Amino acid sequence: MIRQQKQVALAGLLLGTIFFASSSWGIVNITDDLELEGFVNAKNVVRATNFSNGDLIMQRNTAQLEGKYYFLRDSKAFGRFLTGRLEEATLTVIGRSIYDSVYDLRDSYDGLEGKSESKIREVFVDMVLPPFTLRLGRQQVVWGETDNFRALDVINPLDLSWHWSQEPWEDIRIPLWMARGIVDIGKIGPFEESFVEAVWVPNDFESNLVETDPRYPWAFYGAGLPEVANSVIIGDQLYDLDVTVRDQRPRRELENGQGGFRFKAIWGDIDFSLNYYYGFSATPGVKVRSELAELDIDTLHTAVDLVYPRTHVVGLTANFSEEKYTQSVIRLETTVTKGIPVAIEPGAPLGIDPEQDQFDTVSQMVVMLGLDRPTWIRPLNKLRTFFISTQFFWRRYLDYSSHYQGVSSVVPATIGGATVRDRFVSVNNNTPDRDEFVITFAASTSYGRAGRWKPTFVLAYDPRSTGAFNRLSLEYLWSKHLIFNVQQNLYWRASGDEQGPWSIGDMFGRGSHRRNETVFNLTFQF
Amino acid sequence: MGKSKSEVIWGRRCHPFFNGSILVIVLSQCFSAPSQASSDQSYETLRQWISADSPNANELTPGQHLTEKDREKYLEQLIPQSAWEYYIFAGMDMEIGATGHYPAPQNWNQKSATDYQLDEQGVLVGFTGGKFPFPEIKPDDPEAAQKATWNMLWRPGTDNYDMPMVTWLRSENGQLDRQMEFVGVSATYARGDHSLVPGYEEVKSKSIMEFRSPRDMAGTKSMTITYVDHYKENSGWMYMPAQRKPRRTLSSERTGESMGMDMIKEDALGFSGKVYENNWTYLGKRSVLATVNVRDNPEFGGPHLWVPHKARWEVRESHVVLIEPKADNHPYSYRIVFIDAETYWTHWMFAFDREDDRLLRMNQHFLKYSESYATEVAQQAPFVKQDYSKNLGYNVFLHLGETDINAKKPHATLTHCYVKKRNFSAARAKQFYSLRNMTSGRR
Repeated sequence: MIRQQKQVALAGLLLGTIFFASSSWGIVNITDDLELEGFVNAKNVVRATNFSNGDLIMQRNTAQLEGKYYFLRDSKAFGRFLTGRLEEATLTVIGRSIYDSVYDLRDSYDGLEGKSESKIREVFVDMVLPPFTLRLGRQQVVWGETDNFRALDVINPLDLSWHWSQEPWEDIRIPLWMARGIVDIGKIGPFEESFVEAVWVPNDFESNLVETDPRYPWAFYGAGLPEVANSVIIGDQLYDLDVTVRDQRPRRELENGQGGFRFKAIWGDIDFSLNYYYGFSATPGVKVRSELAELDIDTLHTAVDLVYPRTHVVGLTANFSEEKYTQSVIRLETTVTKGIPVAIEPGAPLGIDPEQDQFDTVSQMVVMLGLDRPTWIRPLNKLRTFFISTQFFWRRYLDYSSHYQGVSSVVPATIGGATVRDRFVSVNNNTPDRDEFVITFAASTSYGRAGRWKPTFVLAYDPRSTGAFNRLSLEYLWSKHLIFNVQQNLYWRASGDEQGPWSIGDMFGRGSHRRNETVFNLTFQF
Repeated sequence: MGKSKSEVIWGRRCHPFFNGSILVIVLSQCFSAPSQASSDQSYETLRQWISADSPNANELTPGQHLTEKDREKYLEQLIPQSAWEYYIFAGMDMEIGATGHYPAPQNWNQKSATDYQLDEQGVLVGFTGGKFPFPEIKPDDPEAAQKATWNMLWRPGTDNYDMPMVTWLRSENGQLDRQMEFVGVSATYARGDHSLVPGYEEVKSKSIMEFRSPRDMAGTKSMTITYVDHYKENSGWMYMPAQRKPRRTLSSERTGESMGMDMIKEDALGFSGKVYENNWTYLGKRSVLATVNVRDNPEFGGPHLWVPHKARWEVRESHVVLIEPKADNHPYSYRIVFIDAETYWTHWMFAFDREDDRLLRMNQHFLKYSESYATEVAQQAPFVKQDYSKNLGYNVFLHLGETDINAKKPHATLTHCYVKKRNFSAARAKQFYSLRNMTSGRR
């Protein structure tokens, strides 16, 4: 109790400091050298699978506090120590606490561990030593031109366990301890505004986080049932399945460092970058260790290794502001990635799977062509343009085999045509296409006094699987502190049952597993 | 101490969620019919006002305070008619200052290109700054309008500052809808016979602007490069913390309101568009009241808290320039700009709706002469303290803010700027105004 009282007092002191330290707000000056900003947010998500029953699946409460301390200005640290050519330095700390109260509210989630988090997400020091700048610490680094589908933006893994990729990526990237240095070059040869940037992650490896327990609302269980495969059929015999998963993630050793560099410049009117990143796959591959399999009376004991292959990502980005004919900013991003894990069907020829572990790494190419355009649609808005942003993605396996497999599914165990109760097996009938496509479209504008009503429309569509995703969102800036937002997320498909690779309507729009949802957001910002 | 009017109004507002259907409010806000602009806000009326004399202008004495009682004798003669509705109000108080002489900086007009000209589109070619390109504007010159405008676009004091800003977005009756804080930093590169950064001779200026509040915009920053070649569009990037990367922005769309503010990109400083996209007419000179050499960032008054109140005004002779956009889909049929005949800063701008030739938007600017800080204490921005005594010696005007009104919403955006002049070294400018600086931000 005393500890709680202390925490409440500390929170009160902090809030009091924020509100009364300065007449300013947004970014609040605590002292001349210390700034704070932050917010608290309550997000309620109601899933309405087929627009019938509403099912509260998330009540996430977030508090985020961000501080910046200017401890070195004008080549003087703490107001007294001269630092020579080191002109400026700041310390930034971003902390976040999340508590999802839905696990305490709903009886149906009894037995599940509630989701919460409380951590210093980012902490880094920025140093300016012209022409060199350095950011050291736990941070996010984003390269590339794409929105919401990744190609070059692979330095930080994603936490997809809360709400898949439906949160702002700033909030679901997993910050890593790293050094990011930039040397400004300026004009060199035909290039302007050029710089070289290097990133080094000495030993901090994290994989993408995906919730696999199907009882959680945003668990990933492929195109099958929300169950765990507990059985295996060998011949016509049903056995229990006991799988030992051995996570072979890279150890925190220097030799497991990751890093890369890019050169960015303007050539003519084209803003471009050449990129290289040497890392690990954030999505694990699965090596089936069949040599460790044992079959006893009624159980198959087997083991799989989760492996994170080394990856090489080579990329080119470019953008061009075409001001005369299309009045659009044209964006391009293309990458070739070597080392992407892929599953191979059991029994594939030795030429395809020489180690017979149902695992290989492949190379993939991604091309993204995008267009941003402020566009007048005067019948809908006479005062303000719509910001329209569209992207076309093409992903291609450079080395492809028809023996490759996509995402496995869990289905009921069936023996002799009869379904066995409470017994489930894993199957994989999903063969990825060599060429994969997805098209995105987003439009947003603002209405009302001071543009405080902000509607947004988003569409993602996979032309091969015909899976799609829509978001309709309306944000209202009620005051300088309060923001309301309501969203409707729709997963659907136009036809067929082919499974696509993008986890949209083909995956999350299936019958009773459809994940349509309405999101209510309330944010109080400082 | 009592609450300010804005605070009271914040507190009084009714919450639409408690007050009826959201849908009704959305529709009413989105599609409400424009309020009836008063009949004296037409383009023709302003043209007639410009043509009329202002016989009593010389009768004003320094220190005199004008109130609503002076409406006919002085105010209606010296305030452009389209603005009467906002600037003449019960309880108003305009302090009249002596009409000053404000010399340009000492090195102005000394080291500049001489081989420059207007081309057939009225575009200034071959000029690289450092002086007024056309020191003398002759009324009978068929290119007088363009020349006055080019002097305005190349005037001294436009850049080279650290400028914290606060902007209020207000509806009628002073209702505060949104408030923003941001900082602009800017440097003139083209300085006549040299560039601030050698090798960057094609660059006219570079600027970076970063938002501090509200929190949903904090950390958002933009960098803009303008070029000596007027035909070349600006280059722009925007860094948004939520994206953690810069995004290229389009420059040629200049006619939409953004960030909820009541001006379009072309309205900045009266006219910030492309000369060749417009037809030009010089309407002569006219004396107007202008907030020149204000003592401080003026408080706002009037029925809607939209206009300077208790500020210092001067009678200034201004070039009056008529600008007619060539594009049929441009929102304006006419734009009239009042540009100071000595300093070439814009005092007033009026833009008329293409649909009915009535006032659509206007702006009015608050200026202060840098040397005034020798005797007057500067007002500090609410979020940063600066040493304004460093403004002494520049001999330029500082832009202390403006009022932008959309007459048809009706709504206004009011801005206070806190300008501290800053001379970047070549090395510092090269580092600061670089694309590298846009790859990361506060977070």
